[in-house]
Amino acid sequence: MTRPELQEEETLQAQHPFTESWAMFRKNTAAVAALALLTLITFGAIFGPMLYPVDPFEMVWAPFSPPGEEGFLLGTDYLGRDLLSMIINGAKVSLMIGVSAALMTVIIGVTVGALAGFYRGIVEEILMRITEFFQVLPTLLFSMVLVALFGASLPMITFAIGIVSWTAVARITRSEFLRIRELEYVMASRASGASNMKLMFRVILPNALPPIIVQSALMVGSAILFEAGLSFLGLTDPNVVSWGQIIGSNRQYILDAGYTVTIPGVAIFVTVLAISLVGDGLNDALNPKLRQR
Amino acid sequence: MMRPLLDVQNLTIELTTRDGVAPVIDDLSFSLNAGETLSFVGESGCGKSMTALALMGLLPANVGRISSGHILFEGADLAQASDARLRKIRGNDISMIFQEPMTSLNPVLTIGEQIAEVLRAHQGLSRKAAWEQAIALLDAVRIPNPKGRAGDYPFQMSGGQRQRAMIAMALACAPKILIADEPTTALDVTVQAQIFDLLGDLRKQTGAAIILITHDMGAVAEMAERMIVMYAGRKAELGPVDQIIDHPRHPYTKGLIECVPHIQSELSSTRHDLVEVPGIVPSLREFGKDQCLFASRCRYLTEACLAGRPKPKEFANAQSADCWHAEEL
Amino acid sequence: MSDLLNVDNLTVRFEVKRGGGWGKKSYLYAVDDISFAVKKGETLAIVGESGSGKTTAALAVARLVKAHSGSVCLGGEDVLQTQDEDLRAFRQKVQFIFQDPYSSLNPRQRAEAIVREPLDSLSNKSAAEKTQIVEGLFQAVGLRPEQQRLFPHQFSGGQRQRIGIARALATQPELIICDEPVSALDVAVQAQILNLLRKLQKDFGLTYLFISHDLGVVQHMSDSIAVMYMGRIVEHADRMSLFTAPRHPYTQALLSAVPTVDRVKRASQKRILIPGDPPDPVNLPKGCRFANRCLVAQELCHRQEPALMSDDNGHRTACHLVS
Repeated sequence: MTRPELQEEETLQAQHPFTESWAMFRKNTAAVAALALLTLITFGAIFGPMLYPVDPFEMVWAPFSPPGEEGFLLGTDYLGRDLLSMIINGAKVSLMIGVSAALMTVIIGVTVGALAGFYRGIVEEILMRITEFFQVLPTLLFSMVLVALFGASLPMITFAIGIVSWTAVARITRSEFLRIRELEYVMASRASGASNMKLMFRVILPNALPPIIVQSALMVGSAILFEAGLSFLGLTDPNVVSWGQIIGSNRQYILDAGYTVTIPGVAIFVTVLAISLVGDGLNDALNPKLRQR
Repeated sequence: MMRPLLDVQNLTIELTTRDGVAPVIDDLSFSLNAGETLSFVGESGCGKSMTALALMGLLPANVGRISSGHILFEGADLAQASDARLRKIRGNDISMIFQEPMTSLNPVLTIGEQIAEVLRAHQGLSRKAAWEQAIALLDAVRIPNPKGRAGDYPFQMSGGQRQRAMIAMALACAPKILIADEPTTALDVTVQAQIFDLLGDLRKQTGAAIILITHDMGAVAEMAERMIVMYAGRKAELGPVDQIIDHPRHPYTKGLIECVPHIQSELSSTRHDLVEVPGIVPSLREFGKDQCLFASRCRYLTEACLAGRPKPKEFANAQSADCWHAEEL
Repeated sequence: MSDLLNVDNLTVRFEVKRGGGWGKKSYLYAVDDISFAVKKGETLAIVGESGSGKTTAALAVARLVKAHSGSVCLGGEDVLQTQDEDLRAFRQKVQFIFQDPYSSLNPRQRAEAIVREPLDSLSNKSAAEKTQIVEGLFQAVGLRPEQQRLFPHQFSGGQRQRIGIARALATQPELIICDEPVSALDVAVQAQILNLLRKLQKDFGLTYLFISHDLGVVQHMSDSIAVMYMGRIVEHADRMSLFTAPRHPYTQALLSAVPTVDRVKRASQKRILIPGDPPDPVNLPKGCRFANRCLVAQELCHRQEPALMSDDNGHRTACHLVS
């Protein structure tokens, strides 16, 4: 009596939401180009030191040799160190700090936001007051204090960046949880006997992820910038080279040898821009409102 | 013979989608007489609302367009009219009320201000005259204490009152045609009864013609004289409401009437299964094919249905059905 | 037959903040002291307009909303206080079908996982058994086996509701609470789902608590009907008495307000238009909650709230004018 509702062709395409998002992402040319560039930068950071085995701390030539001359592609800095080698080796540190700081913000932010948004009531009150406390702290000052007190090691810098930037993720996570917990499928899971842990992390969180992913992608960019800021102020591990540190150490010679500051500046600019574009693309691809049915 | 107020001839509206261009309204002709209530019925996605938007000149820009046909309003063709002229007609001669009164009203302006604004824009009334007229309109749509309520914001009113305010605004310039797109779908049934009662009385007082868009056959039976059943962008059946309900000539109309459990005057203790219309409305990709688009859901399917688009069959009682088997039904 | 579900003096209230800050707490009594029973294998419908508390009552019975007081007895056992293992047993016996087929399915799960979820959480069956059960459920609700692998957005509204129904059937429940199961669907699809629900009731001997605002659907589906207004049951009777001889003025108005294609009914019956809007649910009037809109209200109605009184045939009405 009842006939099948769907035509055959529609039955076959069991598309995973991920496949669909990727199709959407691919339409955004700028984001795809940025992703390619980002991949290139990451490869450069990992394999660059092997392909161009010059010690970034070694004095290889006279200071302030301009780019292209004397056989050094990007020239040398005020101590006569090879700038190309510094950029390559700095990429690894900058990216690492960016990624691990972003990871830290996500872990703290998602946990705080999820608990606040799911349990509401007193839990939410306390957690959101804590979040607000971290939000009103002057971020740069606070992280400077941390680094100054506990020493400028890489983990400490990462921690200092992470601890001041998780609030945005927490707020987004909380608002997504508040929205999704009221949807009927969450109620349905509860009626099916799901525990709170399952509701939080298996039902609500996967559906809350898109804006969190976007935010954390952007967080990588801002963490790189933040590290650059700290390095510029001299708050950095002197035993590693990062892009920010190159700028910081060369800043006195900005008028005489502008390229020593400009080149790492461009590297930061390009990387952060690429990350932003990828984040933008992700936003479009993961936001179902923009996605056509 | 008197010229109809609105005469739509062979109207075709094309919508551009990801999969190409689809005729969401496919060769639709109908007329509307002054003071008449005409109802459009059908499931969602059948082109009811699109027809209304076309009449208002509000088709989504760059996506929908009138590809052929005429919309003759008092002899002038709206399909060819300029934006400026359409803007003038909209609100003055043809106005519309929507399903969701909350989102159709501006949340930051009071009800009185919004109605007065319409009056000032279209009729050039002074601020004071417009305000007084707005209060009179709120009174006309039976909002209690209109003087006081004119200063209320939309969120301070109940759903029924917001819909009344919408109607007051639509009636501000004494339009000749009022298009009501599912005006009571979001409302409770007792409030729906109030709104229907109000619309009926207003029609008597103002002589405006009403186009009622709905999915509810009961509402059609209560409100309208004539109806058009739409399916997949095409007219399935057209005619006087009572005649069609007594004897539908299109299987889709028949299905729409029978599949709903209507409240019965004679109640028996045995209950039968509802008559099902299997399947769903076809996707836009199927629109415009040269065959009967209802064929895949039809009990009366034959070879002829797939061989060509059915021609309208006229019956003596002014009923007409686009079905190859209309006479057998 | 015996009662499967007994609800006594159930009250659900929500805290509302008025005036913000540290103002006095006030409460909205969404469900205010209601009692009813559902016989095994039958359908009780709760009808009412928005704000009547019908959905809240259903959620409270299913323990998806916390009840303030009262008791809900399933097979003689009060379930409002149960915890852990007993709660799991309760959830197995009582399942829920939701209103909106678009928001009631997790968009990131495949259809098969959605239907299997209650089994994963509530039963100790082996994976193979679960797979088999899910397969059977898909067939029972009229979906094809290959559709198990699809995601919710690849189904039409009617098919999604079928998935929701299959999920509710997974643990072989005794009671299924249907919260407006067809109101979000197109009319032609409604009939498909209503027929399916009735068929399943017959095949599996299910008991339904059916929440709806649509009196036509209720007339078709239910064996008895409770009419709610502002958190209270105002009338409760079997299908025949309620539709042929409604007693409460609100029920009468409600029935007369439904537009119908039945010309006999339209001609014979004058539509009762009830004026105005329901009162503020936080500051309820002292007397009958319907008094301010009632066309036959008397002085007593504004003074004293009527109790729900039963006649000899079990037709219950809460109105001073009915005795």
